[in-house]
Amino acid sequence: MKLPEIGTYAIAFLIILALIFLLPRMMPGDPLTAICGEEVLVEMTPELKAELVHRFALDEPLWSQFFVYLTGIMHGDFGYSYYYNAPVLEIILEALPWTLLLVGTSLVLSTVLSIIIGIESGWRRGKVSDKFLLTTTMILNGFPDFFIGIILLLLFAVYLGCLPLQGAKTPYSDLSGINSMLDIAQHLVLPLIALTLAQLPGSYLLMRNTMITTLKEAFVRTAKAKGLSEVAVRYKHAGRNALLPIVTTTGVRVGIIFTGALFIEIIFSYPGVGLLSYNALLMRDYPILQGVFFIVAVFVILANFVVDLLYTKIDPRIGVDNTEYAH
Amino acid sequence: MIELRELEVMYGKRRVLHGINLTLKRGESLSIVGESGGGKTTLGLSIIGLVEGTVRGEILFEGKNLVALAEKELKAIRWNRIAMVFQNVENALNPLYTVLDQVSEPIVVHKLGDRNEATRRAGELLNRVNLPEGRFYAYPHQLSGGEKQRVLIAMALANDPDLIIMDEPTTALDALTKVEIINLIHTVCKERELTILLLTHDFYAASTLSDRMAVLYAGRIVEFGSTPALLSNPRHPYTRGLLRCYPSMTTTKDLQGIKGRMEFFDVGCPFHPRCTQSIGICREKAPRLEKNDGRFIACHRGGIIPLLELRDLSKSFDSLKAVDSIDLTLYEGETLALVGESGSGKTTTAKLIMGIFGATEGRIYLEGKQILGRDKSFYQRVQMIFQNPMESLSHRLSVLEAVREPLDVQKLGNREQRESMVRQILDEVELPSSETFLNKYPHQLSQGEAQRVGIARALILNPKLLIADEPTSALDASTQAKVVKLLLNLQEKRGIGMLFITHNLALARKISDRLAVMLKGIIVEEGPSNEIVSSPLHPYTEDLLKAAPTLSSRVHAVPERTSERNDGTGCPYANRCNKVTEVCFNEKQRLSSLSTHKVACMLCTATD
Repeated sequence: MKLPEIGTYAIAFLIILALIFLLPRMMPGDPLTAICGEEVLVEMTPELKAELVHRFALDEPLWSQFFVYLTGIMHGDFGYSYYYNAPVLEIILEALPWTLLLVGTSLVLSTVLSIIIGIESGWRRGKVSDKFLLTTTMILNGFPDFFIGIILLLLFAVYLGCLPLQGAKTPYSDLSGINSMLDIAQHLVLPLIALTLAQLPGSYLLMRNTMITTLKEAFVRTAKAKGLSEVAVRYKHAGRNALLPIVTTTGVRVGIIFTGALFIEIIFSYPGVGLLSYNALLMRDYPILQGVFFIVAVFVILANFVVDLLYTKIDPRIGVDNTEYAH
Repeated sequence: MIELRELEVMYGKRRVLHGINLTLKRGESLSIVGESGGGKTTLGLSIIGLVEGTVRGEILFEGKNLVALAEKELKAIRWNRIAMVFQNVENALNPLYTVLDQVSEPIVVHKLGDRNEATRRAGELLNRVNLPEGRFYAYPHQLSGGEKQRVLIAMALANDPDLIIMDEPTTALDALTKVEIINLIHTVCKERELTILLLTHDFYAASTLSDRMAVLYAGRIVEFGSTPALLSNPRHPYTRGLLRCYPSMTTTKDLQGIKGRMEFFDVGCPFHPRCTQSIGICREKAPRLEKNDGRFIACHRGGIIPLLELRDLSKSFDSLKAVDSIDLTLYEGETLALVGESGSGKTTTAKLIMGIFGATEGRIYLEGKQILGRDKSFYQRVQMIFQNPMESLSHRLSVLEAVREPLDVQKLGNREQRESMVRQILDEVELPSSETFLNKYPHQLSQGEAQRVGIARALILNPKLLIADEPTSALDASTQAKVVKLLLNLQEKRGIGMLFITHNLALARKISDRLAVMLKGIIVEEGPSNEIVSSPLHPYTEDLLKAAPTLSSRVHAVPERTSERNDGTGCPYANRCNKVTEVCFNEKQRLSSLSTHKVACMLCTATD
């Protein structure tokens, strides 16, 4: 990857930082409340207020406030939640692994699944199996993200009772090793399926469409003429070429899947960043919200960066060594 | 090696190939030529079983019917026995893999060697097709068009196949690269004794790479024979049309197209809407491919028909033999230029055909029937335009009356119909059909306009044969250019056969398909215009060519009279010929065939 492209990511990152910094300060009312959350009012004393004003440099011009904010972030200081009575970073780091587990697994699962069924569906275009897949996905696509979650919850956890109703692990159990992992996996199943199903239709449709267009390309005919097996034609030649748009959109999807996770975590009371920010919103715990925004933004940018790196690996036409042979 | 029997391909309800029968022996090369969309690629793909339509008939490959073969067996044949060189357009190579990878892939897939062995062999092949070593690990987008075509050829050779199908391997390449690729294919195929099926619209590739040629039009083979024979003497109207569209360095006639566009028909000859010699049956029944004079032609009329045939035609005025037993054939839709100096008997020949003079001896055939008397129907088929347009139009007739006169004579249509026909024909010869113009008299017209009126008058009866006697020699250069273009356009549209009489060889070669050189009543040389111009055989033709106008500052040498002897018993050019021998004075040489020409010269026949 070239330096200017890394520069682009740096600029995007700075803009996001500036927005997170500016938003609470532009909100109507006392900026102190906006920065520290409403909970702070409970224990507000003149001394505390003076200390906070000093800490955030609220009596100084905006640029020095931003400087103070930046230095804070560099030292891992994302503020203090007066609701939890703990530093924001600590609370977020506690919730983050769960979200990463859910979002990461779902992202991988939905991408891989949509690629495979997209390739197979596009290959069988117009046949019964293709039509079935297409119709099913269209129906899934019609539901709101959380609707599938509620149905799954009712069906498997309430009626059948075969899967846990909520949480990420059985509370107060003293499981360890393999049993602990099994317990976590059991709790993960329903939210994971709900989130993946919500993510699937878009990527599947894109993959199927690209596959259909790719199958018309001349090199597919070349591959068939060479006497290659159908699987090789489908995956090695057509599939790999059809992959490119999916990879691009996966970067974009990271942002969307975090939003999806917000709903799913609420439904399943899954103790991730989504549930955390939901509660923070209810409690007007602004420091937590700002911290979550920051973390999510970092992950989205990181994901896009990784996708860009990946892209040059899959498509030789994009990359640094392009000019080497060019005519 | 491979035989197609009654091969048919349908895309849904559309039949793309109709009853194709072809045989290809080991080591032979066959080209299928025709316009794009005619079914060439479908034909190629159907052989390796990759066509997306339904295939009927048989494709026998070493006795096995490929059409009925299971997919698994077909896969074993693909690339191992029958490989394909694809046209280098829109990603014939996969953009995501290096070319070395793609060339070695079929070796690995067909288990002819492990990865290393395959890579080594692929490297050898890429070397063989002269791809620079540094490019082996390049991706397709990093290569030029010629290099990609080389890779495609190397890839086809990977599994050492017996039959290679090449689909437009030279299209979209620049001139030098094209020659390089053609040479490469040529040597590689000779080296490996490959059998080739070449699908192309490029006559150059077909002429250098194939022994035999089949012309495919709208899913049917219309002409099939040896490549040189088809190229030098096309017999199906479509083949001739294609060749007329193809610019080559030996083409002399202006490029002409084929009227209309390709359509697929289930009944009738597919070419009939574009054919200028189609008759009733052409619309009703598709012609079979039948053997005809050393080749196969699918045409109800047996190929391009002879329109006018002169056999042993002579005319004497007292003791002067103005026309001395000439033989000439003019085919439908072609121009035969009759070239010669004043007094050579050109105009007499024209007048003999028109019946202005009666022939002393000989026969004239029009569309195969001998002309015994000339009634009105003869003049509906044959018309003439003259050298001096002003004098050929009556001073007392307006444009309307002059052009309408043939209709009046033939009593065709009523007054209004005749007038609308006049307007229509004036449109066709690019003249105004306004009231003012219709009422003009010849003296009010320019030379060019007058000649167009003359052409309109000749064409209003829709004749098949037009005798044009020096039609442009009285016109200035720009008017001449326009009239010549007009005549060629009318020929393309209506398939008029034209006997173009002129003394101007430079003009004759631009308008004619064939040339006949006339001297003192006899034809001394005859043949395809381009060959007469590029390699004349008769000394008189040679001298005429030397005297033809060029724009160089060089002064032309006119052949000097070498002898005063000429009693009419020997060669008419004997007294001016610088290669003359004693025999030339004593013996008249008959016109005899030599390669594609016919020539009447002692020396030429002797050297052959």
